[in-house]
Amino acid sequence: MRPIGAENRKLIAEGLWQNNPVFKQVLGICSTLAVTNLVLNTVVMCVALIFTRSLSAFTVAVLRTLTPRNIRMMVETLIIAFYVIIVDILLKAYWPEMSSSLGPYVGLIITNCIIMGRCEACANANPSGRALLDGLFNALGYSFVLLIVAGLRELFGMGTFLGLTVPYFSGPYWDKWIIMVMPPGAFFVLAIVVWVFRSIQTAKENKAK
Amino acid sequence: MIREKPWFAVAYMFLVTVFFSSIVIGLTQLTREPVEANERLAFERAVLSVLPDIRIEEMTRPKIHNMFVETIEEPNESSRNAYVARRHGQAAAYVLPISGQGFWAPIKGVIGIETDRRTITGVAFYEQKETPGLGAEITKAPFRNQFEGKVIWPHGDPIEIKRPGETLGENEVHAVTGATQTSNRLEIIINKALEQWRDQSAGEGGGDQ
Repeated sequence: MRPIGAENRKLIAEGLWQNNPVFKQVLGICSTLAVTNLVLNTVVMCVALIFTRSLSAFTVAVLRTLTPRNIRMMVETLIIAFYVIIVDILLKAYWPEMSSSLGPYVGLIITNCIIMGRCEACANANPSGRALLDGLFNALGYSFVLLIVAGLRELFGMGTFLGLTVPYFSGPYWDKWIIMVMPPGAFFVLAIVVWVFRSIQTAKENKAK
Repeated sequence: MIREKPWFAVAYMFLVTVFFSSIVIGLTQLTREPVEANERLAFERAVLSVLPDIRIEEMTRPKIHNMFVETIEEPNESSRNAYVARRHGQAAAYVLPISGQGFWAPIKGVIGIETDRRTITGVAFYEQKETPGLGAEITKAPFRNQFEGKVIWPHGDPIEIKRPGETLGENEVHAVTGATQTSNRLEIIINKALEQWRDQSAGEGGGDQ
């Protein structure tokens, strides 16, 4: 394997941390709020998102020299929808329980602004390999924040993690915070997570100066 | 350059759409069978799970299907719209399909009733899109198990869903905490189905006295 070039390493660091889609770009958080009340649902959502985002960025990049500028957004939306529908069909056929518990949220990945955002910002102007890498690591950066939010919500809201019991939280002494499971809970947890990560980032940036 | 020509954008969009749509259509066709089988199996699983003395948790899919074929009979004249579970050639229980509007989308399920047409053997839901972690808890054992052995309409409504913590009568169960809407709608769905069934089978003995 070729060693990862400095440019690619920068791409990875940006996707995961410096330019993280959730706490730096604050894009695509609608689905953050919708599906993060159970960790398992979130994991499936993240896998679907990683798949969709990497491959749509790749496809957009492959077609970039051919696609006329004025209709590029239509083509991008079509490509994104294509991959999302594939995920939806596969879930319906081979994991019906998950498909029914995610409900409409899989389809809503199409409107996730971060996918479109990365297609516009990177995939449109870069070779396919680079676009794939950018898509992949942006999706991973997005996923890990989502999983933190989901982990906290499920733990506080239901006293479990991935449906498994957790010492103390699953016991009778833990009064479950119903609000955590409901949509407003996502706002609180997301805000706190963004706050923590941004504080770490700012502290580092100040030090670098 | 050909890319600048106005007709190119139209032709390009058309070709791209045809290409991606045909893949999606192909995939839908390929997965049609498992998708339909999943829906059918979800129903069969629900029907069997409301019968007493049948443990389907560890059963494989083909086994569930075979058991359904062996023990369940389509609705007949005297059972009205309820399926009949047979054991040793005799009717052992009725399984009444129920459906109605839930909080987000229709809820579909079944309710098992003993041959005395008064005692409930269990409830199960095979289609619902309630909030995960809240309304969707109606599909979990803690909520469903409450129905076992309840006697319908000793007075008033067939079944009453009470606030968590209240003391219960023989036709009452506790609602899901934080899911008042789902619980209220479910109460209406169950009662409507049971009342309809009673009115239809009234006058045939064993019904209303």
